[in-house]
Amino acid sequence: MAAVKLINVSKVYDGKNKVVHEVDLEINDKEFVVLVGPSGCGKSTTLRMIAGLEEISEGEIFIDGKLVNNVQSKDRDIAMVFQNYALYPHMTVFDNMAFGLKLRKFSKNEITERVNHAAKILDMEHLLDRKPKQLSGGQRQRVAVGRAIVRKPKVFLFDEPLSNLDAKLRVQMRAEITRLHQRLEATTIYVTHDQTEAMTMGDRIVVLKDGIVQQVDSPMNLYNRPANKFVAGFIGSPAINFIDGKIVKENGLAFISREKLISFQLSPDNSEKLIPYIGRDVTLGIRPEEFRIESKGGYKINVEVDLVEQLGSDVYLHFNLEGIPFIGRVKPTMDFRSRKEFELYFGSEMIHLFDSAEGKKIN
Amino acid sequence: MKKYLVISIAIILGVMTFLPFLWMISASFMSTGAANTYPPKLFPDKFDFSHYQNLLTRLNLARYLLNSLVISLGVTFFSLLLNSMAGYAFAKYRFARKKRLFKFLLSSMIIPGQVTMLPVFLILKNMGFINTYFAIIVPGMASIFGIFLIRQYALSIPDSLIEAAKMDGATELQIYFRVILPLCKPILVTLGLFTFMGTWNDFLWPLIVMTDSSMYTMPVALANLMSEHVQDTELMMAGSVITIVPVLIVFLALQKYYIKGIMMGSVKE
Repeated sequence: MAAVKLINVSKVYDGKNKVVHEVDLEINDKEFVVLVGPSGCGKSTTLRMIAGLEEISEGEIFIDGKLVNNVQSKDRDIAMVFQNYALYPHMTVFDNMAFGLKLRKFSKNEITERVNHAAKILDMEHLLDRKPKQLSGGQRQRVAVGRAIVRKPKVFLFDEPLSNLDAKLRVQMRAEITRLHQRLEATTIYVTHDQTEAMTMGDRIVVLKDGIVQQVDSPMNLYNRPANKFVAGFIGSPAINFIDGKIVKENGLAFISREKLISFQLSPDNSEKLIPYIGRDVTLGIRPEEFRIESKGGYKINVEVDLVEQLGSDVYLHFNLEGIPFIGRVKPTMDFRSRKEFELYFGSEMIHLFDSAEGKKIN
Repeated sequence: MKKYLVISIAIILGVMTFLPFLWMISASFMSTGAANTYPPKLFPDKFDFSHYQNLLTRLNLARYLLNSLVISLGVTFFSLLLNSMAGYAFAKYRFARKKRLFKFLLSSMIIPGQVTMLPVFLILKNMGFINTYFAIIVPGMASIFGIFLIRQYALSIPDSLIEAAKMDGATELQIYFRVILPLCKPILVTLGLFTFMGTWNDFLWPLIVMTDSSMYTMPVALANLMSEHVQDTELMMAGSVITIVPVLIVFLALQKYYIKGIMMGSVKE
């Protein structure tokens, strides 16, 4: 197993189209790192550069302390699972998994042993004689994972491996891959556009946008302490609510939204950081679950709910404030469909303030 | 009612197409002169194998059969190898001016083969290939049509398969032989069939480059035989049967792949 290090890695197409900007990243041995971001953010390109399938325009990539910029994929000792599985259609499951070992001239016994072992781990011993077209999507993905693990590579790369599966299977495979990682303790780099996958699977998450790393942190830190407005908006479902306003000085500091529907006193802990922003445009971010129905202190807003979604465990309340759609997520403590007007409360501890112009977090 | 009408028309057309073929086979077994009697006979009174015997022993047809076989197999083998390599490269490799080069090659398809016959003949003559198997095999080794056919097919192979093979540790040649070629099987069979039949049946080019009678291919030898034994219908028919049978066997054996190949090339999955 090995650490992976990216120093100032960039990718430029046709000499002008820069899709990955100076990525610096250190992935520790045995770590599960997820690259996440909207489509076109450069996450797959970054992964493919690590895999050696894309040339590195600038910067350096080290695997296990060795510079691999000019090392071919096959000599990097990595394995990759592709989005469309990329199984060889003319080979049986056994041969698909054994192909890499055969090319590397492993003995027959060793190959059989490794393939059988992997098949056992993935619970597909009964499928070894089948061809890929006789398998379901989930089984195919399992074969693709099996093909990667028989090689016992230093690093596993996953390129959106679950996006071709249906929702139920995705949840199941997600858990399976996480368990597999715990069992094999292999350094893993996983690319996805699904923030739920990122949050549930990663030891650390790298959030990318337009080829630029926005934040690298643990899932909980990303959620609770997003570095900027983009990360705050990308991580979390339903998404965080944003509303623009200003910071004013009023017995200490206070936030006032544009149409003054939200106005509250800011906690004095952050005053120092916020003083430079007095009078400037800022954006307030409140996660849906920060809204409460009962007052336990905190600030009150009066809202008119236009849609109630009952999920059983939670209730989503949709409402508008100053023309901006908001979602509140509350516990089903009462019948929310019987009336429209509610008083919602939120505390000032878990609110996020961003510089409206640059988007970076300021509190 | 409409169904029966269609079926009867199909049967009539089928019989009309098959009848000359059937008569060719049956006449080849008739004794000398029996094919030209009036009213014409559809089947021989008794089976006479002497024409076949004659062709294969006295008239040296075995030699021509061997020539045809060596040449057709040679052209098929090399054209499959080279066309698939080129087609794969055009489909999956990134290199400078790929599109322009491919368009240039395609545009050469509009030049009729007869135009290039003389220059190709002169080149082969300078190389000393006239009256050797190479005179037919070398010019047939690669064709734009073949490259185009393979390219179109190879385009439908996902890039990730090639990348997966790379990650598995395969070299470029291993990828080509162990991943690409097996996947291209239907189109290779189709192209192989086209090439084999085309070469086997080709008359004009072997006639030009094979001046020594011992190097004749079947169609040339047969045409030669006709001018000598014009009145011997039964012998001609036996010669025709010998010429057709190998192609027929190849076609029937590969027919199911051939149809699959044509379908798969046209519809991208």
